[in-house]
This record gives sequence, C-alpha cells and structure tokens, in this order.
Amino acid sequence: MIAISRRDTFPLAIAILAFAFLGLFLLYPLLNVFGASFLDRTGTHFTLANYARMLSSSFYLGSLSNSLILGALSTLLTIVLGVPLAFCLARLPIPGKSLLLALASLPLVLPSFVAAYALVLLLGRAGVITRFLRDSGIPFTSIYGMTGMTIVFTMTLFPFVVFPALAAFKAIDVSVEEAGQNLGSSRWRTFWTVTLPVVMPAVLAGGLLVFIDVIESFGVPFVLAEDKPILAVEAYKLFVGETGGNPASAGVLGVLLIVCTAIALLIQRYYLGRRRFSTAARRAPPELVVKPWLRRLASVYSWGVVLIALVPFFAIIVISFMEFRGPVMHPNLSLDNFRDLLNQSWRPLINTLTLSTAAAIMAAAIGVPIGFAITRFRSRISDLLDVIAMTPFAVAGTVLAIGLIISFNSGWLVLTGGWLILVIAWVVRKIPFNVRASAAILHQIDPSLEEASINLGVSPLMTFARLTVPLMMGGIIGGMVLTWVTVASELSSTVVLYSGPWATMTVVMFQALESTGAGVASAAATVLIVFTVLPVALIYRLLRRHELGMM
Amino acid sequence: MSRSFGTVRAVDDVSLEIQDGEFFTLLGPSGCGKTTLLRTIAGFADLSAGQIRFGQKRIDTLPPHRRNTGMVFQNYAIFPNLTVGGNVAYGLKARSVPEVQIKERVARVLRLVHLDTYGDRWPHQLSGGQLQRVAIARCLVIEPEVLLLDEPLSNLDAKLRVEMRAEIRELQQQLKITAIYVTHDQEEALAMSDRIAVMRAGKLEQVARPQDIYRAPATPFVAEFMGTTNLLRGTVAGRAGEALRIRVGQQEFCAAGKAGEGESVSFSLRPETIRLLGPGETPPTGWGAFEARLGSVEFLGAITRIELQIGNDTMLRVASLDVLPDELKARGRIAAAYDPRRITVFRG
Ligand SMILES: Nc1ncnc2c1ncn2[C@@H]1O[C@H](COP(=O)(O)OP(=O)(O)O)[C@@H](O)[C@H]1O
Ligand SMILES: [Mg+2]
Repeated sequence: MIAISRRDTFPLAIAILAFAFLGLFLLYPLLNVFGASFLDRTGTHFTLANYARMLSSSFYLGSLSNSLILGALSTLLTIVLGVPLAFCLARLPIPGKSLLLALASLPLVLPSFVAAYALVLLLGRAGVITRFLRDSGIPFTSIYGMTGMTIVFTMTLFPFVVFPALAAFKAIDVSVEEAGQNLGSSRWRTFWTVTLPVVMPAVLAGGLLVFIDVIESFGVPFVLAEDKPILAVEAYKLFVGETGGNPASAGVLGVLLIVCTAIALLIQRYYLGRRRFSTAARRAPPELVVKPWLRRLASVYSWGVVLIALVPFFAIIVISFMEFRGPVMHPNLSLDNFRDLLNQSWRPLINTLTLSTAAAIMAAAIGVPIGFAITRFRSRISDLLDVIAMTPFAVAGTVLAIGLIISFNSGWLVLTGGWLILVIAWVVRKIPFNVRASAAILHQIDPSLEEASINLGVSPLMTFARLTVPLMMGGIIGGMVLTWVTVASELSSTVVLYSGPWATMTVVMFQALESTGAGVASAAATVLIVFTVLPVALIYRLLRRHELGMM
Repeated sequence: MSRSFGTVRAVDDVSLEIQDGEFFTLLGPSGCGKTTLLRTIAGFADLSAGQIRFGQKRIDTLPPHRRNTGMVFQNYAIFPNLTVGGNVAYGLKARSVPEVQIKERVARVLRLVHLDTYGDRWPHQLSGGQLQRVAIARCLVIEPEVLLLDEPLSNLDAKLRVEMRAEIRELQQQLKITAIYVTHDQEEALAMSDRIAVMRAGKLEQVARPQDIYRAPATPFVAEFMGTTNLLRGTVAGRAGEALRIRVGQQEFCAAGKAGEGESVSFSLRPETIRLLGPGETPPTGWGAFEARLGSVEFLGAITRIELQIGNDTMLRVASLDVLPDELKARGRIAAAYDPRRITVFRG
C-alpha cells in the first residue's frame, strides 16, 4: 500500500511544516558549516586542507582531547556522585525528601556559567576565599583549568544521572532482589550483582547526557578554561575573532564537535535503547531499614551534595549585593551593582523577557504537533521526523549559531542583525525537549479519546485543537516555562548571534565578564537566577520531574 | 471486505448484511479480527479491499468523522475535561445543533440511560457502570446510523455486566437502532443478539440466530466455541432409517445427518442433552442409549458435571440437573440416553 490514505494527511501536513522549519533553520545551516569546512579559500573547490591544517596543530588537537577528557571526567564524577544519591533518595528514609528532590532539580535549569563565574569570584585569582587563604598563609593557587571546569560540570550536571537512576531504583521489582537473597546472596552482593546491573542502563543514559552537555558547553570553559583550549570556545574565537573571523577553521572545529556529540547520541539511541531492561514493577521497593548511623550518613550525604551544588548560586546572589570598587569587593551591602546594570540600559532585560517568551511560544507551537505526529501516527515519515527533531540535541549552540550566520547574512533571506535569528536559534535548540515533553504527555492520554471525538463528528484537526491540546495544557504550560527559563539564560548561540540593540541579559553578563565589571556581572547573574527559580517554583506542581531531566 | 496488517489478514474476505434495527453480534476468540472489523466500519482502519454501505450510501470512502456512526469504546473514552452533559453534547455541537435543542436532547437521552440528575457531574465522580451509560448516551444522542460497541462490558464486574447487558438490549429495542456488538463472551452474545456472526482468524464461520448457532453449529469450531460440547470422531457404519449409524470405538451412535457409508465424520453432542437413565428405566422412543463407566463427578449445586467412559478411549461429558454424586457412585455402571436429532454431524 503506497497510496497515502486520508488519515495520513494531518500528520503529513505537520511533518511537511516541521521538515520545512528544521530543514531551513537546522539542516541547511549545518550543511553550510560542513561546506565551509570542506571548501578552499575561494569557496568553490572541495578540499581537505582545512582539516589537515587544524588537525596538525597541536593547539587545536589539544582542544579536541581537552574537550573529550573533560567530558569523560565529568561523566565519571557525576555517576560516582549521582548513583549513591539516587539510591539514598529511592530506598532510604531521608528527612525532607520532597524538598530535597525539588532543590536537586534546580541545577538543571540554572545557568551553569553562572556557577562557573561564582567559582571564579570565590576561588579565582582575586577570589574572596583565595585572598582569605593567602592572607592566612595557606598556599592556594587558583581554580582555573580542568579542575575548576570538572568541579562546575559535576556540581551542575549530576541531576542528569540522579533522576533516571532514581526512577530505575524505584522501578525495580523487589522480588528480583528478594530472589537474589533467597538464592543465598548477601544484601551487599545482591546490590552489586542484581540491583546495580538493572539500573545501569538508566545511569549510562544519564551519563551520556552529561557527556554531550559538557562537550557542547561554551560558557563554563569560557569563564574557567583560561589557557586550556576547549573545542566550543575555540570555534567561537575562530569565528568571531579579532582578525576578521575564519569560517573554514571554525567549521572544522564545529564538525568535530558534532561528530563527538553525534557518536555519543548514537550510542545512546542504539546501544542503550535495546539494552533497557523491562522494569514493570509489581511491587515498588520499600524503604530499607538500616542502622541509625547509616541513615544519618545518608541524610548528610544527600543534603550535602544538593546544597553544595547550590552554594555558587547563593554566593553570587550575596556577592551581587556587595559593594565593588573596580574588581575588588568590599564587605558592605549595596544596590549599586543593580543600579549600574540597569543604568546602562533596560533594553537587555526587556529583550530577555520578550524574546524568551516568543521563543517559548514558538517552540511549543512547533514541538507539540511534532510530538503528536510522532506518538499518534507510527509510520516511516514519523520515524524520520523523530530523528530530525532530536538532531538539535547533537548540535552545540555555538555551531548552530555559526551555521545560521553563514546561511542568513546575505542572499534571499537575511536574518543577521535582527532579533528573529536569536529566537530561531533558541527554538531550534529547544525543539527536542518540547517534542519529548509533549510525547510524554500524550503517552498518558488514551488515544481512544481522540477516536471518540472523531467518531462523534469532529474532524481530526479540530479534535487536536479542541480536545487534545486542552487535555495536554498543564504539560504544555510546564514545558513552555521550562523552555522560557532555559532560553532566558542561553549563552552559547546568543553570544554569536546578538547584535547591537538585541543584546540580552546573558550578553550583558558575558560582556561584563570580559571586562572587569564583576559587580555588574554578578547583578546580571542574580537577575538570571531569579528569572529561573521564580517561574519554576510558581509552576512546580505542573512539572513532572522527568521533564526537568529532559532539559 | 478485507483488512490486512502486513501479512496478517485481520479481516479476511468477510461479507455481511445487517438489517435495520437489528442487534448483530460479532463473536470470536481474542485476536480473531472483531475489533478490526468494527474499526473499519467506524473508519479507524482502512479497508484493504471491499466496500461498506449504509443502505445505498457507500461510506468506506468517507473520513471517520463524517460517517455518523456511534462507537462505544471498551474503556468508555469519556472526555475527562467535560462534564457528563458536556460529553453528551459533544457530538451535537460538532453538528452545529442550536443550543436550545442541544439542551433538550441531552436531557432526553440522559433520562433514557437513567442519569437525569448527573448532567453537571464530572466523569471522575462516576462509577464504571455510570461511565458506561454516559458513553452510550453520548452515541445515542447523535442518532447514528449504527451503534458500534467493542466489548463494552468487559471492564465491569460480573453482576453489573449482567444488568448492563439487559439494559443495553432494552435501549436498543426501544429505539429500534441498528447495533453491532463485539464480544468474546458467548453467553453475552446469546442473551443479547438478534443474530450472531462467529469469527475465527479473520473469517466468518457462521452467521445465524442465537438458537441456531447453538443448536445447529455449522462447524466443529462453532460447536466447541459456543459452550461445552462432546466433539467425537467416528466412521459411518450404515443407516438406520433416516438416521446415520456412526461407529466410535466399540460404541455406535445414531444421528440425523447426511454422509456416505464408510465416511469419516465428527459430530457434536451437547452435555445437557444426554439423559442419565435410572436402574430399569427405558429410553424415550427414537432415542439412542448406551452404557458407560462412571468417571469423575463434579458437583456444582444446581447442576452436576459427570464424565462417562465408554469402552477404552471415549469420554463423554454430561451435565445433569439435580443429581447427587453419591447416588451415581453407588450404581457402578451407568445407562444413558440421547436424542439423535440433537446430534450435529460434520463431514470431513
Ligand atoms: N494496528 C495493528 N497492526 C498490526 N496488526 C494488528 C493491528 N491491529 C490488529 N492487528 C492484528 O489483527 C488481528 C486481529 O486483531 P483484533 O481485531 O484486535 O482482534 P479481536 O478484537 O478479535 O481480539 C490480530 O492478529 C492482531 O494482532
Ligand atoms: Mg478486540
């Protein structure tokens, strides 16, 4: 049956619109990045010279290995830190567990470069703690380089491991463990031989997300790498460099970045996708009864990890209310930093609010229909749509932005210099999340409801608009708020794409970082934190934790 | 019509004609294609071949929302974001019926399903049986050409199931609406239907009135699927007047039917048609009789299930009213009789 039946027209229409959008603003720019990396100086002939040049440079080769080492190190540490935490949260009595869970999800939405910057303010060369240590005669150099970056990534990305692992620990059927013990295995051995292997796929899936996030991150290495070359940062520098920019070399690094993330993503999809154990728990595992000292230890560990992860954010809020004279902080309370921040202009704040709102609406308007087509109409078209909608995930913001500029700074469609290109970049980057989130909501809505509506005489399109969307509304709003808070603090594509009047709050902070405006930077960071935490706190009930895990 | 999924022929060359106002049931084991057949009528599954008509009008070319069928789903599919009244009014709104009329028609149909006072309730406040009624009311109110019901009672407990089936049948009779009802429960099918179509692996086995399906099954599959039966295989030894003499092991059975001498046939003899004979009692005229050893006895209160062993290799199930196991066990050998007209012979 090749003929397209009438029932397929609706998903087909969605698919065509989605392909058009993603084709124009994702695949075409990516193609141009590839193109730039494979073309000679005249832009007409195919060449491998760019790759030969970049890969023979020990500096750029170093950026590749640094990024990979950083990714691997951070992944390892988040797993080492996250799995015990997940186990404690799943199986041990921890006081204040629901508050703890809410706090633990915050690092996923808070901007990680803010944490990096906080680390600089505390432990950097002129950092508060550094100076204190130095003054008390304790030798301490500073936090820059691999150490600092690994610490920040571990502290901000561990929830990527914790939430899937927590779900897996909870989904284990206790009878599996009991069977292990019944066969003569000790509790400890049972954990290692039965429990852990069952949750391992979920842990590794989370770990791969960490790996991808680290490789793609621009802000954290920009703040903390110092003289260590890192792929995303070097690609940015090559592209916007003082010497006029070098799209070919930037393109090579961009392609290397995509290759790294794509491989990680493919492993995730095809290896882990198959190995997932079916965990249809009949009996949820009960909390374990353990000795009081162990319970206390678990509580201290759980609360400790989560609170320490939030310390940088607290610190920067406190610092933003301190008086700065030049780069030097003085321990006096003051609102000067905020005055300076807004004295420059209100525009960045307004830009952040309006553009993020536009992006959140647009991402939902595109993501929800795609999620609908993917879940409700299984066909080759929807499978392809699924793959394409997940592609932005494998593309670092820096690379996407470079592609967008190469593609739309001249020709039939010029977008550079305006606000739309920012919104488009953000929307493209958030489509995977929006699609996943709406698919997750749809899985909980019985398809026979839609059939009942159609059967009663309402067309499929109107059924989607008048029945499905209202039923999804809670989830859609939750997804929009999460999109909003994450694009409001998006850095990696924003710093490449903004221009003149369209600078956002993150750009102001970024510029303040580059100069010595630590006061303004910390004030901007505080504004970003407030804009993240407040909306999430307001709609926390609408969110489900696995959605946070998908950001 | 036919409908295939890849190589699976879910509905395989089925042809049916259903009368106006008829209660028609599709009956068969799970996976035989009943749901698929129903969904092709509603338009949720495409036809691979064939046509569907309502009267003269061909409908398989129409999109599902323009077919004017009323489908009652197994899980009711009540819209959770609408009240009971909103659910019932849903189809009328889609048809742009004026607001006053909607009110009146909703009230009328809610009265019909005994939910007069429930219009403002929310679905989560209702019980399973009440949701079931809302689902039916929601379909009835649009006055569909045909009511399609896919195992609507399977989510209810046993007692409610019996109540609801009487209620659905009564509604259908009262409104004289055409209904196609899917079930795998043969008792439900027998109790409710005007006609039953027994399906097996996508094909029709038999289409007939309940009593004919039960008493004169067209195939051994139908005989076994409709309640319990004794399905025996034997050889035609000759004729005795009108009847065939069929040899099974050492025992010979008389049966009404047509088959040539020496032909191998199977036949069905229902347990409840076999009558146990008391000591010295003679069988009614025209009946066949045999002697057997008593096998297992299962006392179920009103009826007693008995297994009789004839010769070495033939076992017959008998269901008898009002017999006590001890009485039977005291007898040793048991005499029993059967009516040859109640035996159905299958050739081949
Ligand atoms: N969407 C589908 N895709 C593939 N096979 C299907 C689909 N729906 C039903 N089938 C197959 O068609 C056959 C009939 O299914 P169904 O009509 O649901 O049976 P019933 O309702 O009688 O239990 C089964 O073998 C089933 O596996
Ligand atoms: Mg079915």
